[in-house]
Amino acid sequence: MSANLISGAEIQSRRILVIDDEQANVLLLRSLLEREGYREITCLTDPTKALAAYVDLDPDLVLLDLMMPEMDGFQLLEAFARHDRPDEFRPVLVLTADTTLPARRRALALGAKDFVSKPFDVIEIGLRIANLLETRILYERLRISERSGQACTGHNAPEI
Amino acid sequence: MTTARRARSLTRFWSDRPLAFKGLVVVALPLAVLLVALVSLYLASMAEARAEADVRRAFAIQRDAYQAHAMLAEAAAGVRGYVLTGEERFLQSYAQAEAQLPRIMDRLDTTIRDPIVRSQFEELRRLSVRKRDGLAQIVLLVSDAAAPRTDDDALTAALTANKLVLDRMRQQIEDLQQRESVLLNQRMSRVEAVRDRFLAVTAVSAVVGVLGSLAAVYLFSTGIVRRVRMLERNAGKLARAEPLADLPGEADELGRLARRLTRASALLRAREHALRESEERFRLVVEQVRDYGIFALDIDGTVASWNLGAERIKGWTSTEILGQHFSRFYPPETRDDVPQKMLAQARQAGTAEDEGWRLRKDGSRFWANVVITALRDGEGNLRGFAKVTRDISERRRSEEALRLAREEAIAANLAKSAFLSRTSHELRTPMSAILGFGQLLELDEEQFAEQHRSAIGQIMKAGRHLLALINDLLDISSIEAGGAELALEPIEMGALLEEVYGLAAPIVAAAGLRFDLAPCDQLATALADRRRVIQVILNLVANAAKYHRTGTRVRLSCRTIAGAVRVEVEDDGAGIRPSAVPRLFTAFDRLDQEDRARVEGTGLGLALSKSLVESMNGAIGHEAAKPGARFWFTLPCADATARDPATDAAKFPGEPFACPQT
Repeated sequence: MSANLISGAEIQSRRILVIDDEQANVLLLRSLLEREGYREITCLTDPTKALAAYVDLDPDLVLLDLMMPEMDGFQLLEAFARHDRPDEFRPVLVLTADTTLPARRRALALGAKDFVSKPFDVIEIGLRIANLLETRILYERLRISERSGQACTGHNAPEI
Repeated sequence: MTTARRARSLTRFWSDRPLAFKGLVVVALPLAVLLVALVSLYLASMAEARAEADVRRAFAIQRDAYQAHAMLAEAAAGVRGYVLTGEERFLQSYAQAEAQLPRIMDRLDTTIRDPIVRSQFEELRRLSVRKRDGLAQIVLLVSDAAAPRTDDDALTAALTANKLVLDRMRQQIEDLQQRESVLLNQRMSRVEAVRDRFLAVTAVSAVVGVLGSLAAVYLFSTGIVRRVRMLERNAGKLARAEPLADLPGEADELGRLARRLTRASALLRAREHALRESEERFRLVVEQVRDYGIFALDIDGTVASWNLGAERIKGWTSTEILGQHFSRFYPPETRDDVPQKMLAQARQAGTAEDEGWRLRKDGSRFWANVVITALRDGEGNLRGFAKVTRDISERRRSEEALRLAREEAIAANLAKSAFLSRTSHELRTPMSAILGFGQLLELDEEQFAEQHRSAIGQIMKAGRHLLALINDLLDISSIEAGGAELALEPIEMGALLEEVYGLAAPIVAAAGLRFDLAPCDQLATALADRRRVIQVILNLVANAAKYHRTGTRVRLSCRTIAGAVRVEVEDDGAGIRPSAVPRLFTAFDRLDQEDRARVEGTGLGLALSKSLVESMNGAIGHEAAKPGARFWFTLPCADATARDPATDAAKFPGEPFACPQT
């Protein structure tokens, strides 16, 4: 159904930021994403540079590892939330090998939109990424239509 | 002996009389003596008067007798003169005598009492009559002779006779007077005697009266006063609670008072004895208590009593501490305000409790539990405070140790959780790369040659097995570390088994077996973690299906036994070799090589199930069925006390919470 609304090409054109301190995982995710047809992929293994990249890149989706040295995923989730506007829908998919319940709860509470534990199913994660991007695109469209609607009513308002 | 006894009984009789009687006697005795004296005085005066009257009468008789005599003598002389002279004037005295003599005689007649005198008087009267007759004859003769003098002889005879009569009269009067004077003397002496007796009686009466009164008053007063003094002494002894002196048991008021006093003393002593005994008991109990420092404070907080426990705990002996203020038990930082606050609170609320540091005599500190209780008398007036101190340093130390141990346990638990989380991450992260790339290769497998495709398949298989192992291992570790979060809740086992039946049915069906679910006891309710129970049952059912070579069915059932719910998974396969049974629940001890080749599994399933069941306070086991194997596990019943009634009531309306016993 969503396929009817949003083309694969539009989804694949979106910017994805991958943050994981493990080189092999970054490589795996990049391979996976490229295989799915994504072109705008930025990968980071140094979490301390993640916030700057997040601000510069303005990604549509973040794939975030939780357990990293120096700065963990929770801190980054908080930093992203502080940076974004409240009405922004910029999904973060948490990928973690820590499957304990507190970790899951904490990540979701801090604004993560989805949670996948490692090791993950390659096909499943591809689908989840596509779903999250689709949601973001739909959200953007809603915002745009709202703005134009507001503009129209704003235009007509004085005449009433 | 008899006299002494009589005197004693008399004394006794006297003592027994009431005080009013004794007083009456004491007052009446001198009065009676006085009365007797008065009566005797009266009698004496009467006697004297009588005697004096007699004397007067005697004088009167003497006088009258003399007068009669004198009158007759004068008359005789007159008559003689007349005879000689014939002159009428000589007859004057005769006439006088004629006129007065009868009167005198009459007077004498009435006056004379004495019989001798009366006989003399009678004679005298006869003589006086004869004298007068004689004189009258002479006068007659003379007067006749004056005219014709007839008979001188007759006259002479008459004169002579007259003279004889007169002499006899004179003699008679003399006798009479003599007799009277004898009587007079007698009477006079009688008067003297009466007067003497009167004096004697008066003197004796006075002496007896005074002495008797004095004696009575002395006896009365000494007796009464002596006994009152004794009573007073006894009263004093009573007041000083000394034993009373024995008093003779007289029946009068004082005797009764003494007896009452004695009885009161006995009662008082009995009561005092009982009180002292109870006090002594209490004192001994308090003094000998060693684990509690028990002491009294006066209203200001000064120590007023001290027991052995206080000495043992605080180090001061009672002589050292009595009279000191109790604030010295407090360390300097609390000394200024806490003691006063405690007293104020005890005064207001009746009691005050505190825990804190206190000082011993040697300056060392101990952690004390202190209770101060206000002591009030019957009227509610504050009399002081009782203070009970316990040295709970030891308890505090153990509490502290317990707290530290608990903190350490929590810290260790956190460390363990962190370790597990870390381990999970460290093991899963490479697995992620291996399985991820493997899957990518699988997806593009048409690009590879057959032998490579097979290699990719082996990598994936081994990788998945390794991941399952890691998962089970981490599961067991976290359970055994106590880190697994168990959400214990009452679970209706009937419903749960139906749910599991639905989940496990495809596994059993895949093995080509029949899957039976026995109807469950409706009331079977276990206290357990729902997710974990499902995990265990699935594990057992999957085992039954996997290792089942010869049978036809798997059966799932549940029932309640004493205090527990028992779940059984039974099959009718070949069963388990007896030699393998002891190692069934040991990790990595898969049954045999044949199975290992044929069946996928980590070898941790039963070990994990055992850990899970035991973590929920249950038990797990195996028994041989004929044919086949039966695995069972039990879970504790959810009884009323272990549940939250509000949520339970909502969950299981109308159902009893008690675990049914079979």
